[in-house]
Amino acid sequence: MSDSHHEQGFIRKYIFSTDHKMIGIQYGITSLLFLLFGFGLMLLMRWQLAYPEQPIPILSKIFSEDNPFLPGGIMVPEFYNSLGAMHGTIMVFLGVVPLAVGAFGNYFVPLQIGAPDMAFPRLNMVSYQAYFLGGVTMLISFFVPGGPANSGWTSYPPLSVIATQGQTYWLIGMMFLITSSLLGSVNFITTIFQLRTKGMTWMRLPFFVWTQLVAAFLLLLAFPPLEVAGIFQLMDRLVGTSFFMPSGLVVSGQALAYTGGGNVLLYQHLFWFLAHPEVYVLILPAMGIVGEVIANNTRKPLWGYRSMVGSLIFVGFMSFIVWAHHMFLTGMGTKISAFFQTTTMIISIPSVIILSCLLISLWGGSIRFNSAMLFALAFLPMFGIGGLTGLPLGFSSADIHLHDTYYVIGHFHYIVAPGTIFALFAGVYYWFPKITGRKMSEILGKLHFWFSLVFMNGIFMPMLIQGLAGVQRRLYDGGAIYAHAQDYLYLNKVMTHSAYALAAAQIFFIINFFWSMKFGKKAERNCWEATTLEWVAPSPPVAHGNFESAIEVFNGPYEYSAPGSSKGYLPQNEQ
Amino acid sequence: MKHIQTILLPIMAVFLTTACVDAASITGKVVYEGAVPNLKPISMDADPICSAKHDAPVLPDVLVLGEGNSMANILVYVSGVSGDFPVPEEEIVLDQEGCRYEPHVIGIQAGQKLKILNPDGTLHNIHALPKINAEFNMAMPKFKKQIVRSFDKAESVFPIKCDVHPWMSAWVAVFDHPFFSVTQKDGVFSIDGLSAGTYEIVAWHEKLGEQKFSVTVGADETKTLDVTFKKP
Repeated sequence: MSDSHHEQGFIRKYIFSTDHKMIGIQYGITSLLFLLFGFGLMLLMRWQLAYPEQPIPILSKIFSEDNPFLPGGIMVPEFYNSLGAMHGTIMVFLGVVPLAVGAFGNYFVPLQIGAPDMAFPRLNMVSYQAYFLGGVTMLISFFVPGGPANSGWTSYPPLSVIATQGQTYWLIGMMFLITSSLLGSVNFITTIFQLRTKGMTWMRLPFFVWTQLVAAFLLLLAFPPLEVAGIFQLMDRLVGTSFFMPSGLVVSGQALAYTGGGNVLLYQHLFWFLAHPEVYVLILPAMGIVGEVIANNTRKPLWGYRSMVGSLIFVGFMSFIVWAHHMFLTGMGTKISAFFQTTTMIISIPSVIILSCLLISLWGGSIRFNSAMLFALAFLPMFGIGGLTGLPLGFSSADIHLHDTYYVIGHFHYIVAPGTIFALFAGVYYWFPKITGRKMSEILGKLHFWFSLVFMNGIFMPMLIQGLAGVQRRLYDGGAIYAHAQDYLYLNKVMTHSAYALAAAQIFFIINFFWSMKFGKKAERNCWEATTLEWVAPSPPVAHGNFESAIEVFNGPYEYSAPGSSKGYLPQNEQ
Repeated sequence: MKHIQTILLPIMAVFLTTACVDAASITGKVVYEGAVPNLKPISMDADPICSAKHDAPVLPDVLVLGEGNSMANILVYVSGVSGDFPVPEEEIVLDQEGCRYEPHVIGIQAGQKLKILNPDGTLHNIHALPKINAEFNMAMPKFKKQIVRSFDKAESVFPIKCDVHPWMSAWVAVFDHPFFSVTQKDGVFSIDGLSAGTYEIVAWHEKLGEQKFSVTVGADETKTLDVTFKKP
């Protein structure tokens, strides 16, 4: 299985690569850049929320009074709406999912199952290219008249159908991104089913691979309805159909020329049929990474591995029948609401099981508190807060008060920001030596962690407080014109300053990332004394084929502190 | 001699036509006939900044009458005229002071600039709803004191609304000629610069509909057209 290929040219090796590791790196770099960009959009929004209608420092010197988005550096409401829509879209579809699945999944799933590559390398390449084109389309929309999409990341009709042309670019961009995800998910499923090396039985699969498999099924089954919804919305906008536009719709006192009798709620059902499973696509690979890091750094097997796998599959199944808990206030009726309320309560059980298993795995462990482990440990309470604050939203009665408030923003950001993104940072610190052959700086890593932990909470905890007080989301001025929000407006400044401090904390990571690539301490191939197969391969792994020789698996994935093992751990390929 | 006449007569005709062209006018007065309805004052309580701008109750602009029931906000225009007319440099101003549109009815030429002002210190949303021209829907926060827009194509009357303050509405008609006029409280209109000919004159009101008249004017002639709108 060693590399017998001739040396490839630059374009073939770095641009049109079919090697899963290079594609993983492409996904990784692109998604990190998009995360940075999406984060930057949020920083603009946060200025506006804390200091409504005041010029943004520095930008006030760059943008003239004639600028349509930031005249004199002051944000206009339409641009705030665009930033909200694009921040959500970019972070979810161009940042977190591509990093969790496209980058980590691509790079480590074949390695962890002992495969030489993904099942369909060319499809893998096309998947990245579609993702890249989707990202470029989204970026181009910033330069069209009226700016990018401004109807929220959910793009609900009828607003999105009558919105400015940025929405058309959003829809076309989403077509590319959905295509990318579908191609990727087929590839992951086939790879995990067909290319597991000898001895890699289902119950010997690393938990991370399981999470990627379930996430791939979610993407495969949930994205087609959104693709349909996107095409329908595109047709409503461009060719005059009315899939989502009801007859006799009156906007600003004017009857619109839609007579086909469409239904706005149809879109919401199609969107959330994707978007709730998508939440699990965001969180499951993160749980997988945390599982790997915790097992490795507690030097113990994951407690309840089989329960975790079972829960994972159950979560995947249940995630398809909870979507309408996002729609309690649409007047679906109490019977339907009761059904989705019940399924929502049920889906919390397997999530709690997984989280509990991860927590119990710490018990009695000889814990190594390195940067990766710190991020993985912080994931547990952060995801816990995110999950628990979701329960009141799952009750239709409590949701009446909390719906569309900052409570919702706080809740799901606890899931995906100090939740998933912390797990992704854990993954970067943990697997960086495998990808580059060098370790990241622990000092910079720990500075990055502690500042990020404090300031993440500085952003999102006040959102829960504001939301409980009824401060609504999507307000251009952060609630400044509402009497009921007055006592909570100071929190906008707390959150904004925390956001800027969080941005500053990322400088540690950025410096660490690039400095370590060149000057980091050289890492042995199994520098963390890990058991899973990626650590059997050289660092970085062999260009084509991954491993120097054929590999066979004899053990489960987490044989740490294995009885009779002289090293204190038993890699999967050792007897 | 006959040859000289053959040459000179057309030249003189052209000269006379040119000399007299664009000199005819149609003027008149619009009055309202019938019982004057009691208009309900606008409630601006939804935005305290708006209500604080007015000491007295504000009546809607749907029926504004002057002395002798002369009517304001009547758009009078010549229908069916085409030609190549210069676009005025002068801007039309639409002011939102006091959370009302002033003027309430606007005639504007295609390409002419419309300057929209917001002196109120509150958020307005200027939402134009044309069918032929491009729609625009822009917020005007208190820091945004003015924006300038124009409409590229001729279009019959369409509304402009504020989505923040639902009582605010104005009407705009876009022409590709300058032959239109909007009455003030005295009800008087004047359409000038017409060539001799027969024209269809339309008088439009937002609730009472439109009336059409055929008027023939000679060169340098001023015709009077009085219009009466009756309560239906």
